[in-house]
Amino acid sequence: MLMISPRMASGMQEKQFTPSLLNFFVYNPTFGPREGEEEKKILFYHPSEVEKNEKIRNVGLCEAIVQFTRTFCPTKPAKSLHTQKNRQFFFEPEDNFWIVMVVRNPMIEKPNKDGKPPTVEYQEEEILDTVYGAVVRECYSMYKLFNGTFGRAMEAGGVELLIQKLEKFFYRYLQTLHLQSCDLLDVFGGISFFPLDKMTYLKIQSFVNRVEESLSLIKYTAFLYNDQLIWSGLEQDDMRILYKYLTTSLFPRHSEPELAGRDSPLRPEVAGNLLHYGRFLTGPTNLKDPEAKFRFPKIFVSTEDGYEELHLIVYKAMSAAACFMISASVELTRDFCEQLDGLVGPQLTLLASDICEQFTVNRRISGPEKEPQFKFIYFNHMNLAEKSTIHMRKTASVCLTSVHPDLMKILGDINCDFARVDEDEEIIVKAMTDYWVVGKKSDQRELYVILNQKNANLIEVNEEVKRLCATQFNNIFFLD
Amino acid sequence: MDEEPQRATVSWENGTLAPVDRLRSERADSPTPGLVEGTEPGAGQESAMFVHAQSFEDLTAQAEEEVQREAELDKSGECAEELKVLVGEKTIEEQLSNDITSESRTKEEDVTSEAWRSHRKHVFVLSEAGKPIYTRYGTEEALSSTMGVMMALVSFVEAEKNIIRSIHADGCKVVFLSKSPLVLVGVSRTCQTDKELLRELLYIYYQIVSLLTLTQLNHIFQHKQNYDLRRLLAGSEYLTDNLLHRLDRDPGLLLSAVTCLPLASSARDMVSSSLQAAKSKNLVFSILLAGDRLVSLLRKKDQFLHHIDLHLVFNLVGSSSSFREGEGWTPICLPKFNTAGFFHAHISYLEPASELCLILVSTDREDFFNMSDCKKRFLERLSKRSAYQALKEALKCPSYSVEQVGIPELRHFLYKSKSSGLYTSPEFPDVYQSDEEQERLMGLYQDLHSSLHHPTRPLRSFYRCGETENLLAWVTSGFELYLCFSPLGTKAMAVSAVTKLLKWIRKEEDRLFILSPLTY
Repeated sequence: MLMISPRMASGMQEKQFTPSLLNFFVYNPTFGPREGEEEKKILFYHPSEVEKNEKIRNVGLCEAIVQFTRTFCPTKPAKSLHTQKNRQFFFEPEDNFWIVMVVRNPMIEKPNKDGKPPTVEYQEEEILDTVYGAVVRECYSMYKLFNGTFGRAMEAGGVELLIQKLEKFFYRYLQTLHLQSCDLLDVFGGISFFPLDKMTYLKIQSFVNRVEESLSLIKYTAFLYNDQLIWSGLEQDDMRILYKYLTTSLFPRHSEPELAGRDSPLRPEVAGNLLHYGRFLTGPTNLKDPEAKFRFPKIFVSTEDGYEELHLIVYKAMSAAACFMISASVELTRDFCEQLDGLVGPQLTLLASDICEQFTVNRRISGPEKEPQFKFIYFNHMNLAEKSTIHMRKTASVCLTSVHPDLMKILGDINCDFARVDEDEEIIVKAMTDYWVVGKKSDQRELYVILNQKNANLIEVNEEVKRLCATQFNNIFFLD
Repeated sequence: MDEEPQRATVSWENGTLAPVDRLRSERADSPTPGLVEGTEPGAGQESAMFVHAQSFEDLTAQAEEEVQREAELDKSGECAEELKVLVGEKTIEEQLSNDITSESRTKEEDVTSEAWRSHRKHVFVLSEAGKPIYTRYGTEEALSSTMGVMMALVSFVEAEKNIIRSIHADGCKVVFLSKSPLVLVGVSRTCQTDKELLRELLYIYYQIVSLLTLTQLNHIFQHKQNYDLRRLLAGSEYLTDNLLHRLDRDPGLLLSAVTCLPLASSARDMVSSSLQAAKSKNLVFSILLAGDRLVSLLRKKDQFLHHIDLHLVFNLVGSSSSFREGEGWTPICLPKFNTAGFFHAHISYLEPASELCLILVSTDREDFFNMSDCKKRFLERLSKRSAYQALKEALKCPSYSVEQVGIPELRHFLYKSKSSGLYTSPEFPDVYQSDEEQERLMGLYQDLHSSLHHPTRPLRSFYRCGETENLLAWVTSGFELYLCFSPLGTKAMAVSAVTKLLKWIRKEEDRLFILSPLTY
């Protein structure tokens, strides 16, 4: 992505380039061990138009780096390679299968006089390994969610099938990566939970129980409101990646009809149905359509002894969304979908307005929101709960943060410091811009606060953070 | 010889560090953080003694060279082959290391063993032809194929018009530094950042240059690319070994600063003026050391000694006991001064069993007797004064304990005056008595240092509260301060400790720093 820096106003046109994806490839070194067969190792390569020899060379370098690193750490594989122009991230999700992502460092292009080519300055310290390492791991998790493991494809149809699946998945998925806006939240990969009172929570739970009882085909259910999770029957790691898919891909694609008026042509499925606002986000767009197909996306989730394949039904009414997962061995029929629509539609509509009402009441009690002196990110490793007042809204295409990118990177630096030692810690730093940044790690929780109190001293900053912890996290103990 | 020192002077004057003569009265008793550079405790009054890098100028200079190098490079074809060889390397390597069991160096170690792998920090030096020059652990012979792989990686990435910097794995990183005609590789299990590790490799590079000069180094490899440099460096490995040891333990190398022997200013001034009197035409620097501590340093007007060069001299003197046996006369290149030529250093101890070592640096190879005479004159003059006795007394307590500062829960600290390039620090307290604990504390300081001096996101201050200690680091335009508190220390204590400590250092600065350095 190209961004024009403000300095260009001064006449000398300086161009600033944000980090971008150079290459993304998947290889298995055991697939072409002999000389002349190197191409067989490559299962996927982006961009595909790269010349064959260059692909082989780049894969060869990765192999060499991995092999070389084993000289010093036989058990811990290489994770990244830093060069002047780019960074490469290595990930071996399954034995001998390597995923490599090459990210170009951000750079500044300075024009030269006399028609000389512009000078390029690479900003080598801008990319955080932890952030992009997490991005690669997420790429794999997302592949696995919709395709199962690489091993499964190999068993089912050999290398050809795997290559086909990789091609099909990553061709689309890579276009949705927005490397320039990745930050600490990608490292956590957390789930935002919707805060709720006990009564409403019980209502939701009993709704889930009722539906699961009436429609016994349903194996797992997840319930979200306002893109935030309320209830999930899935394993944490499966929910984490499903949540990512729902909130950054599926929901944003379907948000428009919600906003459009009732009579808008954008929401035909509502037209004939006055009883409720429920509709399928996956599967049939209109149940009344005689041509409607009852096919749902399949996902793979882990079980005790491997994985299982499931239909993913996402059903939404106003801001409430319910995901129902049904074994893929069952064929889903029009009957079933109508039954589900009839049962869930009205109840979910009701629940959605209940939650909405509750939410507004709570808001009113807590009083009008003042612009606080601080912004924070909280993450709990135990339940993956995350909370950020720094990010306005995180979708696949944009991640708006309200603070300077350098401050976000300082948060990332502190996070790296925390990751090195397995003990409770607190770090308070003052940036050159005089912002204070506080990081606290306690038990499995991490809290990062940015304070805009330039003249405060260490003691005052500490007091401020204490107050914040007392109001926002009153039941959590942080090391003082 | 002429160009380099000039450049050093110029950059000195143009830089923000230009020392200003100040009167004593301007020096406040209780310095505030808003201190202007040059008035912080420990700032020299006349002018600085040596050039000190403000932070990492050395590495930025390197970036410029790289641009040039890049322009010269254009040989992409052959590298695919190189890599093929290198991927299948493992087996050859194993054979090789099995063959070399008959080696007879003390460094001998099985380079495939877990013990070898788990050393905290490996350092390798190789030529651009991939020939081994130095390894910290194991023998170069046993590691020749490993180093071959290193070189292959470097040149493969170079062929793509790119530069390899580092490889990261969990708990282990490999950093590469190309300083033609040498390539240095560090493998570290510490938490140090790439930048810190590069700085250490750069020290090793300068150590080698100081033995040979860069001109000679270039000359050798231009003539014979495949030259085995170990032939020339044989017997000097201990210097590099020792320097690496210092890098792990000496705060001076971390801070780009030197520490002084605590000494009453009257005595120090006396020593300095005696050194000043014992001058000679070709004498450029006279340095009086007490162990690793500076007692006095004199320089020719307009000539500055870079802290890296000074540390190389410290390392030379500290690594070898042979200077104790009489007057030493050795060529030494001071690479930050001039990479092209040798100085000649007269190195001798004032008295046989004394810690006091005098180093006289001359430009003339035939100057031994002149220097020897200078030393005699200095000693004669000094021994007539009471200052000599005071100096000998001071040797008995070359350091101070942190209790003397009287700040509760403060365990240790480093304070560097930026304008003078001098630092002070108490001895390690009881909790950090073992080597491991001291290196761990140094590691914590290194962390703080690299956080504060981050190349794109530098910080003003850093406070870390952990289970074993609380740390506070603070950088202003005048000083750098690193404090280590017991885990019982609070933030309020830390804040008040800074004020108290600065006051104490101001009070003691006469003793702890060289406030009035002289020139010939």
